[in-house]
Amino acid sequence: MNYLSEFTKGIWKKNPILVLGIGLCPTLAVTTSVSNAFWMSIAAAFVLTCSNIVISLIKKIVPSHVRIPIFITVIATFVTIVELLLNAFQPAVYKSLGIFIPLIVVNCIILGRAEEFASKNGVLASILDALGMAIGFALTLFVLAFVRESLGANKLFGFTIIPGMEPSSAMIIAPGAFFTLGLMLWGMNKINSRKK
Amino acid sequence: MSAGIIKPSLILTVTAFVAAFALSHVNKITAPAIARQTADREREALSVVLPGFAAGNEKTDGSGDNAFRYWEGEKNVDDAAVKAYAFITSSPGYSGDVKSMVGVDSEGKILGIYIIEQSETPGLGARAAEIASSRTIWDIGKILSGKLKEEKTHPWFQRQFAGLSAGEKIKIEKAGDWTPAKEQALLEKNAITAITGATITGRAVIAGIEKGYERLRYVLGREAAQ
Amino acid sequence: MELKILFGILISTIFINNYVLSQILGLCPFLGVSKKLDSALGMGLAVIFVMSLASFFTFLLYKYILLPNDIVYLRTVSFILIIAALVQLVEMIIEKLSPALYQSLGIFLPLITTNCAILGVALLNINSGFVTAELGLLKSIVQGFGGGVGFTLALLLMAGIRERLETADMPENIKGLPITFITAGLLALAFLGFSGMKV
Repeated sequence: MNYLSEFTKGIWKKNPILVLGIGLCPTLAVTTSVSNAFWMSIAAAFVLTCSNIVISLIKKIVPSHVRIPIFITVIATFVTIVELLLNAFQPAVYKSLGIFIPLIVVNCIILGRAEEFASKNGVLASILDALGMAIGFALTLFVLAFVRESLGANKLFGFTIIPGMEPSSAMIIAPGAFFTLGLMLWGMNKINSRKK
Repeated sequence: MSAGIIKPSLILTVTAFVAAFALSHVNKITAPAIARQTADREREALSVVLPGFAAGNEKTDGSGDNAFRYWEGEKNVDDAAVKAYAFITSSPGYSGDVKSMVGVDSEGKILGIYIIEQSETPGLGARAAEIASSRTIWDIGKILSGKLKEEKTHPWFQRQFAGLSAGEKIKIEKAGDWTPAKEQALLEKNAITAITGATITGRAVIAGIEKGYERLRYVLGREAAQ
Repeated sequence: MELKILFGILISTIFINNYVLSQILGLCPFLGVSKKLDSALGMGLAVIFVMSLASFFTFLLYKYILLPNDIVYLRTVSFILIIAALVQLVEMIIEKLSPALYQSLGIFLPLITTNCAILGVALLNINSGFVTAELGLLKSIVQGFGGGVGFTLALLLMAGIRERLETADMPENIKGLPITFITAGLLALAFLGFSGMKV
């Protein structure tokens, strides 16, 4: 088991959003600002790592046909913990991310990694897998948010970039999200095909 | 088949119980902090919408869905007691209710509003809570070293309500973001300028003010009659 | 009067606040199943069914069990388990009624559980204040139903376009996901025309 490759695969080769095509819902919705992207990455990383650990620990005693509901319960528990912690200690972030915090539970990345990896591998490998995926997720979110917040609201992390300039609001709303991601994927394909 | 159902169901139930148990503990730890925030926000809102007034006790009229919370404030001006009132109102915006606290004097002139809760689109309706910052990303060095401190001002969208009359129809002008130069003209027309591309949020705030003011007058009228 | 409100909710969730094209929910199945029109329709109908039922059960659970017992924090866990159970039910029904559809939907059928639109509408029903409103249960079901119809509409539009794109000429690198997203963006742009509509 090459531990290093388990960790790094989540960043480029098996980047959850750009390659595996999972975890899209929060991706497009929370990248309206870099701050949102940052906090969502942290929340998702927490849930992903914790649930990977727990599921890897209990994998032997979980009967196959109820494994999905059990995985979901574990994930939902950690999501609720994140919800409560954010609401108590970072209320502005909680309000800003809105329903996308509880929606972490249906983020295909988390259930996907639990099913595909954590339920079949040891705890250490599962932790590395989780962290790698989380970083890949975070980087993608960051790039998207950087583009959308700077072009769509003329801001970064809430700070104005060019004072007095009217930004292009289209980037902030749904169409802008789709376009940005589409162009990013196109770019990635170009890079990958040149490598071959 | 029946043996195949009992064990998995048992494990599922046990998992659910462990989960609920863990969560109830986390909830107990975080609940007080969460409750404190609502109280803090309302206190801050009161100080903004009733500037200079000693906000008296909170009263509630009606109950459940129909509950209306309002405060009475008093201050001394030239040895005379001047009264003002604040109330909480909410009205559906673009994506959910917009909840504001509104302060009015005894003639119905708005002293200030404070949007307590909104979940409008960031960059559009959510700009109702946007504070015009003079700091830009290029000042990041100064900000991090603490040399450029921001003064906490009230969002321009909300500030422009002060001075308008709640008793008359508040109009919306689509004239770009608010600037001090527009203030006089808007006051004369009893109007506010909307957020570009987010008129619905503006309308929601106005609807909330009108609804709340009407209820306030009704409640105060009843109080006076008693 | 109530009919007008309910109709308003319907129009709002299908067109103005379309779950996929405005609120960006339900993307995973949207991209996965929208390749062919018939599987898109089958998926859409399954989602409408699950969303309506999920709205019904989660509303009742929240109003009569979670709220009175002050265990609102269990909302996420309990809602998702209800949805998982409903999806299981729908799977069994489809397998019995139409094995062909069951085959063509494949892995995407159990994946309906992770469709953020379903958990999304359950949570949105609560956030819209329906729990304390008049006819709250009915409004929630209508919102769930409308959400599903809106999702299906977006899915069908997408499938129709993608079927055509299969034979269209375009640079190699833009094929697949990139052009799909750009198309979705154009659809979302079109649906923006509905925003601001007062019903």
